[in-house]
Amino acid sequence: MYANCQNAGLIINFITGQGVPCDTVVLLLMFPIIATIIAFLRQIVGIKAFGIYTPSIVIFALLGTGLKYGVAIFVSVILVGMVARFLLKGLRLLYLPRLAITLSLVAFSILVILMTGGSLQRTGLAAVSIFPLLMIIILVEKFIAAQIEKGGKTAMVLALETLIISLVGYYVIKNGYLIKTVVLYPWIVLLTVPINIFLGKWTGLRLSEYWRFREILKKSK
Amino acid sequence: MLKFFENGKKILGMNSRNLSYIRPCNLSKAKRLADDKILSKKFLKKAGIPVPKMIAKISSSNALEKFDWNVLPSSFALKPSRGFGGEGILVVYGKKKDADNVWIKADGSLITAEDLKNHVRNILDGSFSLAGVSDTAFFEERLKLLKLFKPYAFKGIPDIRVIVYNKVPVMAMLRLPTRDSGGKANLQQGAIGAGIDLASGITTTAVQGKFKIIEYAPETRFLLSGIKIPYWADILKLAVQAQEISGLGFLGADIAIDKDLGPVFLELNARPGLSIQIANLAGLKERLNRVQGLDIKTIERGVKVGQNLFGGEIEEGLEEISGRKVIGTAEKVKLIGKDGKEIEAEARIDTGAHSSSIDADLAEQLGFEKTVEEFKKIDTSGYILRPENEAIIKKDFIEKYKMQIPDLADVAVIFSSSGSSIRPVVKVNIIMDHIELISSCNITNRTDLKYPIIIGKRNLGKFLIDVNKK
Repeated sequence: MYANCQNAGLIINFITGQGVPCDTVVLLLMFPIIATIIAFLRQIVGIKAFGIYTPSIVIFALLGTGLKYGVAIFVSVILVGMVARFLLKGLRLLYLPRLAITLSLVAFSILVILMTGGSLQRTGLAAVSIFPLLMIIILVEKFIAAQIEKGGKTAMVLALETLIISLVGYYVIKNGYLIKTVVLYPWIVLLTVPINIFLGKWTGLRLSEYWRFREILKKSK
Repeated sequence: MLKFFENGKKILGMNSRNLSYIRPCNLSKAKRLADDKILSKKFLKKAGIPVPKMIAKISSSNALEKFDWNVLPSSFALKPSRGFGGEGILVVYGKKKDADNVWIKADGSLITAEDLKNHVRNILDGSFSLAGVSDTAFFEERLKLLKLFKPYAFKGIPDIRVIVYNKVPVMAMLRLPTRDSGGKANLQQGAIGAGIDLASGITTTAVQGKFKIIEYAPETRFLLSGIKIPYWADILKLAVQAQEISGLGFLGADIAIDKDLGPVFLELNARPGLSIQIANLAGLKERLNRVQGLDIKTIERGVKVGQNLFGGEIEEGLEEISGRKVIGTAEKVKLIGKDGKEIEAEARIDTGAHSSSIDADLAEQLGFEKTVEEFKKIDTSGYILRPENEAIIKKDFIEKYKMQIPDLADVAVIFSSSGSSIRPVVKVNIIMDHIELISSCNITNRTDLKYPIIIGKRNLGKFLIDVNKK
């Protein structure tokens, strides 16, 4: 149970009245907010991550797994992805077969982790439901693609940035006030449109670029 | 602090590059041309721009199976047509003699036709292409490294990136492959970018990778500033010409210099990176703003405008940045000899010589007449002048004559095509462009030569040499 629609505005009441679960309604409304946060972090702050899809899917997955286990699984997936890169480097495989092998390695490692969790009486870990789990596992494709396109180091940075964005997003959509506000006044979600128009036209330097170009900024008179 | 943010307006950031320059200037048709190397090669060649010659191409796995590996020469480069960031490029330098279709890579390792086949298969599969879509592989002639770049480049071929906007070259850098970049001239992968003064084609400041400001080529004492790029005007012209015919309003032109062919156009880039600003320690936005809206009629005019606007103050700028003086190939110097005797003379600046040497007459005037005289008396015919004997000869000489000959600081064994010799070395102070150098000069007969003194590499560490300076 994620949200509570008892104290809802007219529209939400109407929608839930048609039998749509409250969680579904609120999560759908949260989605534009998350997308906007990701866009903001990219355009203004300069955190790249793996696009908009991956961080959002991770955010929703974290809701399912809980923060602790979700992050643990995320980190293990990335670690296995790194190890797989070294293991498979010498074989010079084509992209999809290579990815498939990496995915099986990830799947086995997750199995081992869940099993260990279970044996250590961490029932929460063992009982993590399969869909959020798969959502995090599939992230390895983005990771491998980034490794090939941009190199191992950049892929690591992107993975880390994805994790950071996901954590920010997670805390935002877990925020009780925000949930309540959205339930009461779902229209405020439309505010993301003008915000995104502004972001889409923003041509100033990103915060990260002030850091990147610091030598020039220091030097210029 | 406010200044810091104020300065940000001079810099081109990712948002502005995409929204204000790439989107309006580079239409998708032109972008498609730039992203397809085989196509752009054909296109450029048609317009008379020199490009590396294509040997063969493979566009399907069917063609791969039928491919005759014997058509490949002993050295070539294998590339994906839609590759980016230098990924997927494989270069071989020679063919193994007694084997059938085995080539040698830069690191000496061997590569068989079977390995090449695998690589081509990867390319066809789109492993190196932008969107992972299937791709075409092609073989082209391997460019030969210019001697000038040899000390600076690790394995691969350096190239020159020129940003062209509105027919004006606005910024340029020399990209040098390093060990970190695996021989690729790509900054993202750790190559070096050395900023270039547009007027003179001389490098100024340099960055390695995305952030690191460096002065010397890694693991060497070779300064990255002060490198004069040959064919500079031609390179700028090629860049502007390429913009005109490609229709890319905001173009990153990559041009390499081949030992035999001169400048050759490598690649059109529709999304040039921003690190060029760090290499030049200057903002691109400010320059783009200055060029925007200018009505440039001809290529030559565009090159001139770029050179005038974004270069010229190289000398002062260089001196300020590098802390080194810029000198020409001939300079007036003041020599201070024994007992403070001063003589002014014209010196030849010779980076080909290791140490400095002065004429015997001049040495006598500086108070070393005894040294010259005594040294003449020594019979040197007993020594075999070979580089491997150098240390022994030196040691022997010093032991025997250090006491006898006044002011003898050392001896120099000079090997040259015109005859090798053993020369006396004395301490002389040289003042050049207000900098005093304490130097060991060897003494030789230079009466027939224009300059009574040459200043060699060992004494030039505090200077940058501009061959055009009078």
